[in-house]
Amino acid sequence: MHFLPDIGLATLGIQLLVGLSRAMILFIVSAGMSLILGVLRIPNVAHGSLYMIGAFLAFSVASFFGGSTGFWLALILAPLAVALISLIAERGIFCHLYEREHLMLLLFTFSLMLVFGDLVKLTWGGAFRSVTVPSIFSGSLPVFGLPVPRYNLFLLVIGPIIAIGLWLLMSKTRIGKISRAAAVDREMVGAVGINVSWVFAIAFVIGCYLAGLGGALVAPTVNIALGMDHTIIIEAFLIVIIGGLGNMWGALCGALIFGVTQSFGVLLWPQFAIVFPYAAVIIVLLLRPSGLLKSVW
Amino acid sequence: MPKKWIINLRSFWWQIAILVVLFILPFIVSSFYVYVLALIFVTALLAMSLNLVLGYGGVYQFHHAVFYGVGAYAVALMLTKTSLPAWIGFIAGPIVAAIVGLLIGWLCVRLTRLYFGMLQIALGSLVWAIVFRWYNFTGGDNGICGIPLPSLLSSLNGAYYFILIILLICLIVMYLIVNSPFGSTLQATRDNPGRCAAVGVNVRRHQLIGIIIATFFAGVAGVLFVVLERSVFPDLLFWVLSLEILIMCLLGGWFTFMGPVLGAAITVALRTFVGIYTEYWTLILGVMLMLLIFFLPQGLVGYLQEKFRRRIKVSTKRT
Amino acid sequence: MMLQVDSVDKYFDGFKAVNGAELTVEKGELVAVIGPNGAGKTTLFNLITGQLKPDKGRIIFKGEDIAGLPPYQICKKGIGRSFQIVNLFPRLTVLENVRVAILSQQGKSTNLFSPARNLATDETINILKSVGLLDKAEATGGALSHGDQKVLEIATALGSEPELLILDEPTAGMSPEETLATMELIKQLASTRGLTILFCEHDMQVVFSIAQKIMVMHQGRTLIQGKPDEVRSNKEVQDAYLGGGE
Repeated sequence: MHFLPDIGLATLGIQLLVGLSRAMILFIVSAGMSLILGVLRIPNVAHGSLYMIGAFLAFSVASFFGGSTGFWLALILAPLAVALISLIAERGIFCHLYEREHLMLLLFTFSLMLVFGDLVKLTWGGAFRSVTVPSIFSGSLPVFGLPVPRYNLFLLVIGPIIAIGLWLLMSKTRIGKISRAAAVDREMVGAVGINVSWVFAIAFVIGCYLAGLGGALVAPTVNIALGMDHTIIIEAFLIVIIGGLGNMWGALCGALIFGVTQSFGVLLWPQFAIVFPYAAVIIVLLLRPSGLLKSVW
Repeated sequence: MPKKWIINLRSFWWQIAILVVLFILPFIVSSFYVYVLALIFVTALLAMSLNLVLGYGGVYQFHHAVFYGVGAYAVALMLTKTSLPAWIGFIAGPIVAAIVGLLIGWLCVRLTRLYFGMLQIALGSLVWAIVFRWYNFTGGDNGICGIPLPSLLSSLNGAYYFILIILLICLIVMYLIVNSPFGSTLQATRDNPGRCAAVGVNVRRHQLIGIIIATFFAGVAGVLFVVLERSVFPDLLFWVLSLEILIMCLLGGWFTFMGPVLGAAITVALRTFVGIYTEYWTLILGVMLMLLIFFLPQGLVGYLQEKFRRRIKVSTKRT
Repeated sequence: MMLQVDSVDKYFDGFKAVNGAELTVEKGELVAVIGPNGAGKTTLFNLITGQLKPDKGRIIFKGEDIAGLPPYQICKKGIGRSFQIVNLFPRLTVLENVRVAILSQQGKSTNLFSPARNLATDETINILKSVGLLDKAEATGGALSHGDQKVLEIATALGSEPELLILDEPTAGMSPEETLATMELIKQLASTRGLTILFCEHDMQVVFSIAQKIMVMHQGRTLIQGKPDEVRSNKEVQDAYLGGGE
């Protein structure tokens, strides 16, 4: 087998950092999905569509305003737009479906994914789009003597910031604590006089905002194209499952495992790099089927 | 019970009539419709195979398409890479699918419900990823085209009849299985696995047997796909197809025997005929499905059956 | 000795639900387990029939330690069980409910090609006749009255042709007439089919009129095992259970 090239420690380090920065995006998207799954018990297959819409919207905003301002505006506006879309979806459709079986919700959100996919095609067409990295982040910084793209370092910083922000939100704010209570026992929360419906709406919107944010953040690093929704959603689902349903730190663990194993895949056997994260997920599910960390369900 | 008798008889004659029509169809309509119908047959078999294990067994088979794709690729590879006769490939397809089904099923069956489904998605995605990237062997994301078939099957009509006959045989076998002791035990494991264990039923073993049967038939559907399209591609193993098949079962009603056939027919027909007018047929399909799930949770066939049953009750009350 | 429960412990997250429980059941006996709510009766039954694994102790059935075996294996060894909370196949008919058990017992549950509705009809009808449900054979399990459902529970358990039949509160929720009928049924099953029967009940009338031996549980422990008169006159039992009324 010729897939073990001469790997220097530096290359390993670079690949690890790139993998970790990818993991940050996966974490943000998965955290949103985990929140929605944990609080609302909805397996939202359309979560990936929102990620894709976030990326396409980022493209539109960035190309409209141009330059670095375009990028920063995209980063702010695209996730907000996605959050707005999700609010409309929640108030209009989802709030009527909370009592349905999970399988039905799964298929319903799958159909929604089909709809969103075509709407994106309608709006932006089928061609690849791209967003240029703002000038502060262009080029690379030397780490371990080899160049690491600055944007990846930015992602490595943003990820933990968002993780801590989410943690503060969920554990220190009133709405966060209520959401966590509603995740465990929604009837009880309703019985103490809290409007559970609004709790759900807020949790849903925050989760979807994260999807859009993930899409906007990933936009400069990939080809923005149709089909992004299909790949990210499986990855997010698997990450959430191995991390422990509804557990944000679990989503972080799962995302790290996913990102790092993919990096190792790239180093060891580039042709089959994408196989490595799936193998890791399978091993985790076989060893600890209920997830690495405690699940909320 | 005269009313019941009349209905039974009527449905038997309807079945014969439909069969006759299906057999003479290639002589009446253009080859386009023959092709669409053949595609419906293949998809119907696939949907029925899923319903065996999902509707009757209550197993969360979330990535059933993998076994369909494996069957298709197995026969495709045998026909293109070896000089073995075609019929060996046709038999190998379902067998390989069932073996993969057993392996994946055995790993998954120790988990319950949602986790079973997710592990299957992970394992299935692994298989998909391997097929997707192994350019030298499986053709990678291009797949394999122009698969040679024996002369009898190389015409559209030949393929049509072959597919129709195999479909009918499979449906009969499935019907027998569903009504066999295994079938009733499997349904019991769906309704109350705890009770089954308490009466001595090894629930996991029955679920595994159900999985092997279902994946075998999925492999048959894969072979039929190759006979019709003469090509394979990685999309056959993609999770989106798996959920589509699940939806076909839902559409048609998964507690009924022929429900998935209806679901498959509707989906393929919609895709084909709406697709003529617009490239956004997925949008229309998606909206229809959303409306259906919102308003008719028991599927179309289930809904119609209930309405029909109510009408029978009303009319028997009058007599 | 058919069944012996020997110093069995069971913890639930640190709470000791069953604490050194002891029970012996001889072949052909009709034994009752009684105790206040939360005494651990259903937990004990779940330990015997395999839904739970004991943390300590042995459960010996016909000379073999069955502790920790999965429920379907325990059933195959000859123990049948009815459940406290009705646990049927609600969508199947009464006939089909019992048939599942019979097909499993006959080893035919993996038979793929004979039509199920023709099989095991005689055996099913026999059982339904003996419990008095034959006239309701075509009714859906979920549509039966509560009392009938409890009887169907027993019928289903009989389908596996057990040697030891364990009934968890067989008359719970029944009217007085249904309770009497079920008592008669249990007595009859013991005598005509030679079944060994172990049951737990809250209805003391049922217990003291048909049980040959009574085991009293309290807070997970076995207080006493003995004949009804012994139990009735035992001071500890009176204090813990009978003395203060129901």
